[in-house]
Amino acid sequence: MPLHDTSYQHWDGVHLGLWRRRWAIAWTGLTAALQNKWIQHLVALCWCGGLAMIALLFFVGQLLVEDSIIVQWVGNLNPELQGFVRMFTSWLEQHPEVSVRTTQDVLFYFFGIFLMALSIFVLGMALPQFITRDLASNAIIIYSSKAVSRGDYLLGKFAAAFGLLVLTWLGPVCTAWLVGNLLAPDWRFFWHARVPLLHALVFGLSSMCILSALVLGVSATSSKEKSTISLWYTWWILGGVVVPIAAHTQPWLRHLSFNFNLNQIALAVFRLGDDLKIAQDNVPVLGPMLSNIRPDTMRALTSPAIGGALVGLLLMTGLAAVVVGKRVKPE
Amino acid sequence: MPTAPVIETQALTKVFGAQRALDGVNLTVAPGAIGLLGPNGAGKSTFMKCLLQLQPITSGTAKLLGREVGREGREIRKRVGYTPEQDCHIPGMAGCEYVTYCAQLCGLPFQAARQRAHEMLDFVGMGQERYRKADTYSTGMRQRLKLAQAIVHDPEIVFLDEPTNGLDPKGQAQILELVQSLWKTYGITVVVSSHLLQDVDKICEQIIIIARGRVLVHDTLENLKARKRGAAEVVMSAGHLDLQAACARRSWPCEVLPNGHLKIEHKAESLNPLLTVLHELKLVPLEIIPSPNALEETFVQALEISHAAA
Repeated sequence: MPLHDTSYQHWDGVHLGLWRRRWAIAWTGLTAALQNKWIQHLVALCWCGGLAMIALLFFVGQLLVEDSIIVQWVGNLNPELQGFVRMFTSWLEQHPEVSVRTTQDVLFYFFGIFLMALSIFVLGMALPQFITRDLASNAIIIYSSKAVSRGDYLLGKFAAAFGLLVLTWLGPVCTAWLVGNLLAPDWRFFWHARVPLLHALVFGLSSMCILSALVLGVSATSSKEKSTISLWYTWWILGGVVVPIAAHTQPWLRHLSFNFNLNQIALAVFRLGDDLKIAQDNVPVLGPMLSNIRPDTMRALTSPAIGGALVGLLLMTGLAAVVVGKRVKPE
Repeated sequence: MPTAPVIETQALTKVFGAQRALDGVNLTVAPGAIGLLGPNGAGKSTFMKCLLQLQPITSGTAKLLGREVGREGREIRKRVGYTPEQDCHIPGMAGCEYVTYCAQLCGLPFQAARQRAHEMLDFVGMGQERYRKADTYSTGMRQRLKLAQAIVHDPEIVFLDEPTNGLDPKGQAQILELVQSLWKTYGITVVVSSHLLQDVDKICEQIIIIARGRVLVHDTLENLKARKRGAAEVVMSAGHLDLQAACARRSWPCEVLPNGHLKIEHKAESLNPLLTVLHELKLVPLEIIPSPNALEETFVQALEISHAAA
């Protein structure tokens, strides 16, 4: 026999607003995804990447400190590398407003691409948590019978996917930028590095929104976990295989890969071609090094296929919305 | 106890392709324990789902708790509980987490949601198994869990779709007792959809019989039984033969049921003639059930009329 009162009690508290209910859906989805040990390890790997980025920014900053260990270490390098580092250092000293921006732009571009790949992998592992399992267990009907609409449910699930991406992508990027510039020898680094941060945020946030929408679409395609996970990874890998082949045959086929499309957005946002040109003009040693880059690659860096990428992503997002609209119903 | 109608529908119609699942349903239902009866595929679940906006209404209007369905969906569902017929737990969640989450979806703050979840799990009789994942629950535990999630936010009306499906007799009795107490003790209107007449007979005061998407009967159980007066089921420990002989003398049809009870058609409005006979024979019955099977007979009769009309 229970020691406490087990009769029904009425509740007369105040109901929370709609956004708190959406938050509950998002938070529950995110915590459920994070219960997977592999996802925990991958999130940790993303943050390790962030630490590496901080170390790299610290290294660049220390080049300007005459008596730093880094400068002493550079003195022990071979003459060719010493020449490169000295020219780079003098560029940093003379035109920090350009050099800091350019350097961090390049670093954050590559860091963003690295984190995007890891994030796509993590999303694939967390994918069943978003809609697939709810479809399999009829839980959609429970959401629909509570004080939330289908839109609230989807917004909550979208936020769960987005939240996961904040952990694997936006979080490490922002932390790396903040701590990296905090460790720089001059406070003005923050000001000079504002454009790379803006680029990283524009690329990161837009890609995260698109990936969150796509992952919901794939998650809603089936109530079988294996099917949805396979579909996500197959789309990603097959896209990667098709891009180099299609480049010489049917270039528009490249836009079937969401990864390629997001890469084009990254190139358009960071304007990597312009950055490389500025660096080449100011650090002459870079000239011979960059001359080895193939013309095709250089052309791809300077003029990304942004139009096709945007159309491709728009169509993919639209398709995901149609799948979600058709599949996420109480019955 | 509230008296304003909880459900009001006018020409409520729901069409699936060529099939009319609901065909111009007009109802005004007062609060209470309401039994929604009908054969499989009659439209009971569709009626509930239309009221809860789980299915869009094809035509007509419906009001739940005085609010128009379709316009104030979230506000209505904040005050309504629902247990679907099929399983609906969220995989990977423990019972108490699931009920807490359901309370949060209805707008309860986390702390209050967690406290309410434990209170409701106590109320439905779940013990330590609440900390286990719901995927591992037996059918009985899942039914209890469904009931707990439906009432965790303290709704004014609860819709229960086949709440005793898959339960053993003991489990059925426990669930029905809980459901009955929701209205009788705590004033929460309960709408029970079932094809099991005995379940509805035990706990409901109002009966709605639906078949082919139409409401055939809507009345109180008391009135339905009054229509079928003139018969009684008598439980005796001894004296069966004497009573049967007395009935034969009065031309009252008397039948021995498989459970040993006597079903006597005394053809009177009250039980007085039967009581007089028992008194004359100096027989003391263990129990007299007036108008037995009244609901079943009404149900069958309504269905026959419906079939004939079709």
